Amino acid sequence: MIRFEKVHKRLGGRVVLDGVDLQIEPGETFFIVGASGAGKSVTLKHMVRLLTPDAGRVWVGDDCVSTARGHKLEQIRSRFGVLFQGAALLNWISAGENVGLPLLERTNKPEHEIEKLAREKLALVGLAEAYDKMPAELSGGMRKRVGLARAIITAPEIVLYDEPTSGLDPVTSRAIDQLIDSLRRELGITSVVVTHDLHSALAIATRIAMLDEGRVVALGTPEQFIKSPNEKVQQFLESQYITKRGAWEKAAAL
Amino acid sequence: MNAWARVGREVLLALRNTGRALVMLGEAIVNIRHVFSRQNRYETIHQMFVSGIKSLGVITVVALFTGMILALQTGLELRRFGQEVNIGTAVTVVLLREMGPFMTGLIIAASVGSAIAAQMGTMVVAEEIAALEIMSINPVRFLVMPRLVALALIMPFLTMYTNAVGILGGAIVGYTQLGVSFTAYFDNCTRFAENKDLFVGLFKAIIFGVIVVTVACHQGFATTEGAVGVGRSTRRTVIIAFLTILTMGYFITRMFYK
Ligand SMILES: Nc1ncnc2c1ncn2[C@@H]1O[C@H](COP(=O)(O)OP(=O)(O)OP(=O)(O)O)[C@@H](O)[C@H]1O
Ligand SMILES: [Mg+2]
Repeated sequence: MIRFEKVHKRLGGRVVLDGVDLQIEPGETFFIVGASGAGKSVTLKHMVRLLTPDAGRVWVGDDCVSTARGHKLEQIRSRFGVLFQGAALLNWISAGENVGLPLLERTNKPEHEIEKLAREKLALVGLAEAYDKMPAELSGGMRKRVGLARAIITAPEIVLYDEPTSGLDPVTSRAIDQLIDSLRRELGITSVVVTHDLHSALAIATRIAMLDEGRVVALGTPEQFIKSPNEKVQQFLESQYITKRGAWEKAAAL
Repeated sequence: MNAWARVGREVLLALRNTGRALVMLGEAIVNIRHVFSRQNRYETIHQMFVSGIKSLGVITVVALFTGMILALQTGLELRRFGQEVNIGTAVTVVLLREMGPFMTGLIIAASVGSAIAAQMGTMVVAEEIAALEIMSINPVRFLVMPRLVALALIMPFLTMYTNAVGILGGAIVGYTQLGVSFTAYFDNCTRFAENKDLFVGLFKAIIFGVIVVTVACHQGFATTEGAVGVGRSTRRTVIIAFLTILTMGYFITRMFYK
């Protein structure tokens, strides 16, 4: 579904992506993990051509998104829904209008129907009451969820999530995990999720890739990922109390 | 890099930016056909309100004192020839032709222009522009066009208001400082000023509005490097818009008055 071929990218004078190869299959929930500044957001942005590789290519299905322009690019982008790291809501319209915006702009649906759909999606992310609130009145976690509702309202084939659960309490985080998982199981949506939250990744990922210094250093199913011999992966796992010996045993030993 | 190379580089960069700004302006003009679509109609009216009504306070003060200064300066000179009754003409013609649109343009550049640049810049930094692009919403149609239409429509009215308040200021100075009665003043105002003076001034006002929106949106969209970048875009907007208004004002004057 999405394929990276030896993608290189320099930003601000330093190498951010250093030959990334990835292949994401249709219907996957593909997780990308890695330290802050590892290039996760940059990787996501290449999938919708908010960034263009210096070398290498990114494919979406049979289309090369890295060279697409004009109408073709628009067509590729319309297959995506994107949740940005900072939610990227427009601050002069209400939360509900933000959610409905893609439909208002892209379709001829009447406005009352758009409102109904927007309310549905807000309810799905646990914000049924927030339709008329302005983004500035919402907490960071709530804005995130509004952004998520906006990303899925057009029923896209592929959804990109940049840290969907950061800044959310654990209970809401698990609810968002379940939502992402149900999109895959019920609608066959392909998801690419960037996160620091390994618990989410291990719970719902079909595969996990770890980025470090612009390279994919580990890639596999959650089971394979945990067993990866890579030092960075093990550090990352241990930092969240996930070890081969088991979390509780480790905690008890402290 | 030696000094000449640097100057050359700056000139080329300025040319490139001007080109890009003009391309954006062209795109915004093409998109005016969408102004009544359901996505845009409220936005245009809202922008007219924001840019028009909210600047009225400053404009009133500036216009009043501009008219008063004009009346005082010309009045003191004219009085030496016993001609102080003609301040009406002097104030009116200078305001209609030049100072009215010019002062209004500068105020709008400093207030509305900087606000637009800051808003666009913040939207770039917060990835809102990127989000619009992903949703296949053309930022030029969605953000630039309504502001362009709003300012192009509202600038002539603001300028007429500036003119009116300025002329009133002249009348006050004429009456209190120079002993020119209100009837003599207003009679004198309308005697020599031509319709052409008014219309050229209003034409200027529209062009100045277009300049402010174009510069502000272009600079805002070109913002990089977070909050610092937003500050830089805002400052540049005000400077570039000032200079462009000044030079374009001269050329428009030359075009109509030879
Ligand atoms: N537009 C840009 N200009 C310059 N440098 C950039 C730009 N975007 C990203 N970078 C740099 O690229 C690197 C990777 O950024 P990226 O946003 O992908 O990190 P990340 O893995 O998403 O981190 P985080 O978990 O903190 O979001 C960072 O060092 C960042 O400074
Ligand atoms: Mg990131």
